[in-house]
Amino acid sequence: MECWSNGCTIMDNEKKTVLELRDISKIYKTRSSFFGPGGEQVVALNRISLTIYKGEIFGLVGESGSGKTTAGRLIVGLENPKEGEIYLNSTEISGLKGRALKEYRRKVQMIFQDPYQSLNPQLSIYESVAEPLIIHKIGGGVERLERVIQTLKTVGLSPPQEFLYRYPHQLSGGQRQRVAIARAMVLGPEFVVADEPTSMLDASYSAQIFNILLNVRDKLKVTILFITHNLAAARYLCDRVGVIYKGNLMELGPADEVIQNPKHPYTQALIDAIPKFGHCGEIREYKTFLRPQRKASEGVGCPFFKRCRKADETRCRIDVPPLRAVEDSHYAACFFAEPGHEKRPESDACLLGI
Amino acid sequence: MALLEVKKLSVGYNTKKGFLKAVEAVSFSLDEGRSLGFVGESGCGKTTLGMALMGLLPPNGHVTDGQIIFEGEDLLEKSEDEMRKFRWRKISMIFQAAMNALNPVKRVQDQIAEAILTHNPNLETKEALRRVEKLFQLVGLPEGRMRDYPHQYSGGMKQRAIIAMALSCNPRLIIADEPTTALDVIVQHQILEETRDLQKELDLSIIFISHDISIVADVCDTIGIMYAGQLVEYGSREEVFDDPMHYYTRALISSYPTLTGEKRELLPIPGESPNLIEPPLGCRFCDRCHASGDSCSIGPPEWVDITPTHKALCGLCLK
Repeated sequence: MECWSNGCTIMDNEKKTVLELRDISKIYKTRSSFFGPGGEQVVALNRISLTIYKGEIFGLVGESGSGKTTAGRLIVGLENPKEGEIYLNSTEISGLKGRALKEYRRKVQMIFQDPYQSLNPQLSIYESVAEPLIIHKIGGGVERLERVIQTLKTVGLSPPQEFLYRYPHQLSGGQRQRVAIARAMVLGPEFVVADEPTSMLDASYSAQIFNILLNVRDKLKVTILFITHNLAAARYLCDRVGVIYKGNLMELGPADEVIQNPKHPYTQALIDAIPKFGHCGEIREYKTFLRPQRKASEGVGCPFFKRCRKADETRCRIDVPPLRAVEDSHYAACFFAEPGHEKRPESDACLLGI
Repeated sequence: MALLEVKKLSVGYNTKKGFLKAVEAVSFSLDEGRSLGFVGESGCGKTTLGMALMGLLPPNGHVTDGQIIFEGEDLLEKSEDEMRKFRWRKISMIFQAAMNALNPVKRVQDQIAEAILTHNPNLETKEALRRVEKLFQLVGLPEGRMRDYPHQYSGGMKQRAIIAMALSCNPRLIIADEPTTALDVIVQHQILEETRDLQKELDLSIIFISHDISIVADVCDTIGIMYAGQLVEYGSREEVFDDPMHYYTRALISSYPTLTGEKRELLPIPGESPNLIEPPLGCRFCDRCHASGDSCSIGPPEWVDITPTHKALCGLCLK
């Protein structure tokens, strides 16, 4: 397929790693409460490894509770992983302190989900966007103003002078989110985590935000981790996607490839769940989602076993399928994804016994 | 005969800055067992329309004109007491974010039984609970969870409980306002599928309100596109999707990413929707419309009939 956007494909030979996650795990413990003892462990991320290349938009796709937001928070350093390392340009980040940590925070920025909550209502747009510059002691009064104006232009708030002294309540949701993007971009970051930046917005504003992200990537050469539950948005925006389920990376590959030719039953279930009408052409139905769910013992076997219609009673119940290459740069963590292991979903009649 | 017929309904709110015309001259009809979806961005008046149909406008909201004829009776002529008997037994509503409005200190079964008992005072509690059990089966909730509290439910289960509550008095019409917005894709898909099945099984009529055109198209036979308080296009979902006539509808569809087919550039709709306290004289979309000409801003556009079931409020759509 031809690519319509400039620079949306990165040739293999120019791939340069910006960010690397190595075997990242994050476990939350529930607090003891009035009613119960607490101390239960919730695995938010389970040994995730990822490499993100310079200038790409990488999509992390999954349902709520899958751990995708946790991954974003670990990357920007809002939380620390229990195990594993995160590298930015080959520097491990957990050891950073003082000035180096502050510099890391300048280089790695985050765009939050809800622009109705992420902007301080008492600050004007200028104050909001200039605040990061003040914190990092960049520029003087005039230079700051210029940078703010420039950034507002980049995110499509024009003429910028009209927005500088307005307050968030005077803006629409789409405009607020653009201010939030400007706030992340004003420091000239290398890496930006965008956590579901359009899920609180109307569908008609989403396209604006997508195009702005594509635009800042091309213009400012930032690398973006785009966290979403919407596969169609991921297809539009991302070069590569990773599909995550209950903290486990299930599938990883070029966005178009993963969406047109998904290998993991969970990815297939996600595609089945998208409303079909209005998408041009026929969409294949995979029917891999199992209802009602199977019984399974916790902690062993494939994470998707309970919900997977394709699953094998003996193998998938006990063994965890590793993430393996099924094609060039397309990986899936499923025993049936590998060539020669295609298996038809069990018929409903077989499932009644489960 | 149509179950519901709305004629030139206009609704507005008194605000500090003046009278806000939230819904203007909206007409449509809905037959028994059919589903109708309203699509539009926030502030286009779709929720106000739903609330007006239920007779639940906030104190500063008024219906300024029009008729709402349900089973031959004009709902606007009914007193509040009469409406109260009417509501839930004939028309019920799934409110936006209703799943967060379940009472946290009451068991789910008691909350649904309460709705049944309020509207059927002669019923015994035991019988109401038996009905709750049936409703649980209907919406796919395990009966073993009837005695749970809302916090023990997942988001999808809460939404199912809300749907059960809306069905509790066997209404003829359900108005669903963004019923799946806070849910995950997979859960949303299940709920939409079940809504379709329930509609067939119970021969219900549904009015579905959402900002997401693809969700509405998944559930509804007929689609109304709303913009700045007006209905701007109305037709069967095939007509509206395959042959959109109003430039707003076209813009809405081309701003939506697809899963298959050629990857095309998304065209966002420029600008913001107009102020409804002093709405523009001419077409309300003309400031954001790439096809608009001088004639568009002079006077209000007229409805153009494209087919007997498909019409658009745009002077240019056939040119």
